Amino acid sequence: MQRFSMPATSRRAILKGAAAVGALQLASPFVVTARAADTVKIGLDDTFTGTYAELGKNEQIGCEFAVDEINAKGGILGRKVELLAEDSTSTDTGTAVQKAHKLIDRDKVNFMLGNVNSAMALAIGEVTNQAGLLHIVTGGHTDAVTGKDCHWNVFRVCNTTHMETHAVAKTLMTKFGKRWYFLTPDYAFGHTLQSGFEESLKANNGKELGASLIPLGTTDYSSYLIQAQATNPDVIIVLQAGEDAVNCLKQAVQFGLDKRFHIAGAQQELEVLEGLPPEARIGTWVFEWYWKQPNVPHLTEFVAEMRKRNGGKVPTARHWFGYVATWTCAIAANQTKSLDGTKMAQFLQDFKLPPEVALMPNDPFYRKGNNQLMPTLYVGHAQAHGSDDPEDLFVIDEEVKGIDVALPVDQTGCKMTWPT
Amino acid sequence: MTQLILFNVFNGLIIGAFYALMALGLSLILNLTGVINFAHGGFLALGAYLAFALMPTIGFWGALIVAPLLTAVIGIAVERVLIRPVYGRDPLYSLLLTFGLAFILEDGTRFIWGPATLPFSVPSWMAAPLSNRFFFLTGYRVFMVLLVTVAVVVLFLILTRTRLGMRIRAGTLDLETVSVLGVNVRVLRNLNFGLGIYLAGLAGVLAAGMLGLQPTIGSELIMPSFVAIIIGGLGSLPGTLLGGLLIGIASGVTAVFFPSATEAVIYVLMALVLLVRPRGLLGEEGRF
Repeated sequence: MQRFSMPATSRRAILKGAAAVGALQLASPFVVTARAADTVKIGLDDTFTGTYAELGKNEQIGCEFAVDEINAKGGILGRKVELLAEDSTSTDTGTAVQKAHKLIDRDKVNFMLGNVNSAMALAIGEVTNQAGLLHIVTGGHTDAVTGKDCHWNVFRVCNTTHMETHAVAKTLMTKFGKRWYFLTPDYAFGHTLQSGFEESLKANNGKELGASLIPLGTTDYSSYLIQAQATNPDVIIVLQAGEDAVNCLKQAVQFGLDKRFHIAGAQQELEVLEGLPPEARIGTWVFEWYWKQPNVPHLTEFVAEMRKRNGGKVPTARHWFGYVATWTCAIAANQTKSLDGTKMAQFLQDFKLPPEVALMPNDPFYRKGNNQLMPTLYVGHAQAHGSDDPEDLFVIDEEVKGIDVALPVDQTGCKMTWPT
Repeated sequence: MTQLILFNVFNGLIIGAFYALMALGLSLILNLTGVINFAHGGFLALGAYLAFALMPTIGFWGALIVAPLLTAVIGIAVERVLIRPVYGRDPLYSLLLTFGLAFILEDGTRFIWGPATLPFSVPSWMAAPLSNRFFFLTGYRVFMVLLVTVAVVVLFLILTRTRLGMRIRAGTLDLETVSVLGVNVRVLRNLNFGLGIYLAGLAGVLAAGMLGLQPTIGSELIMPSFVAIIIGGLGSLPGTLLGGLLIGIASGVTAVFFPSATEAVIYVLMALVLLVRPRGLLGEEGRF
């Protein structure tokens, strides 16, 4: 007879195991590309796992494309460029900081890029500032990055939350009304988006009917949607991003709330619209870059090349962020003929992106004084199906110049201290 | 305010029923084999992705039937090859094994279907509210609750009325004696594991209709299942069901007063239950 004894699984073991699951969510594999001693190294500390995994991956693809182009054109200071990518996870800032230290101390990167998560972008900015490294924030939108927590070495490609909310607020108030309810992700990005909208509401005698602060990574939004509809708002402002936005919008549409209220928000992304079933592709939003714009030089070639690298799919704003950030590093180094962080940062003050990198109208530039890119923002609405391309899911209604909706430098709270 | 609370209590029951479905599969496996299946979320995701892959061919209803069955078959194979060798060993072995398996399943789905969120549609007549007043009662949610109810009833019938179920229940109490009586315990564990994974696959298909389909869908939903089991009491399937419903309601009611604590409240509830009644609400004393 065989013995089939019951293993001694205790409640304590289950609790320990459950705690271990929580802890190990933080550990994640890292991705490293090939490296060599005589190359110029660009570190990318970004979200490759968790709720922002897709956004981080797309930024990486944009970076890789730029690296290939840079190498084809002679590299940086005549040296080959390589990209070292590390997974910061989507939610654990400690891991992001640890990976930044690894890239700087062990891999000796010359530049740093990242991160999608605002809190991580801020934390990595502290690390790169101490190391004196040129750091381009690819996709973390909270105002503080180029506001009160700005640094001379930290530049940002994506918009501030203030710019995004002010680009769309007027349209929402004029077309849909001034009584709003907020569904806000409970971290830096969500909070600053909400305060940006609140500022616009206040200035235009609008009314905030309430706000639900919702933990990042929430799957069930039903209870928050019940709260929102109970206030009978003109607009339900959805500030979620990534997979959180997919879950929230999908459930809002299943509840039929889009038929009773207008659904809108600030930042929207093609990745999110593609993850939604057609009936849930609704609302008024801001896109930070779009693959389909008329009369923009070099755009067609960029989209065609990215389609080849991206399994036939069109590039998104995230690809563009990675692409612009990487090219910014190369241009700054080649123009100053130096890898010195201070020299490059000084060169980039008020630097206008060349058209082949900008890929948008109105000559985007890094504004002197707070290192924020002043691009064009696209206000428009989502559509269920593309007219001539299945990925044409956004209709641009209005182009807004970044400089017109950004706070003046002296009001951003940015006080830069340059190294002596 | 009262109406809002009632809405949230009712909505919490719906969500709780879903948590209970996941937790029941987990509990079934734990009770008989002592294995804490951390890969349960991975199997849930697998069920959802299989449904997504099958839908263009056999439609939503076909996928709802076939995908959980396929997931169960994969679960049975995994039990035979990977889990069986660690039975009777220190629980750490099965913890580590299933934990690694969870990563493999998540990365496997990411490798096959990509990291992007996939659009998973349910039949349009289900994706609409049944009334304007009770807008949160969509056809899909009502269907989900009905299906969970049917699944729970069938599960309890299997466990109480069939030879297999009786053997599983007997094995839960004393596997060695069951073996002495001539029951092939290997097959019993195998089928029991398959049954648990079937419930995970079913929960996966249902979840994909409500949430975005992404590789992390399982890991995001697994923690409430563990909490449901601990609150309900280890070893008790009715307890697991009760635990699932309770955390759903607690989360819903908290959303009215303190929205940012809806996630934290289920852990607070678990801590309270552990303090007051360490064996869980319906757990048997000395069982674990």
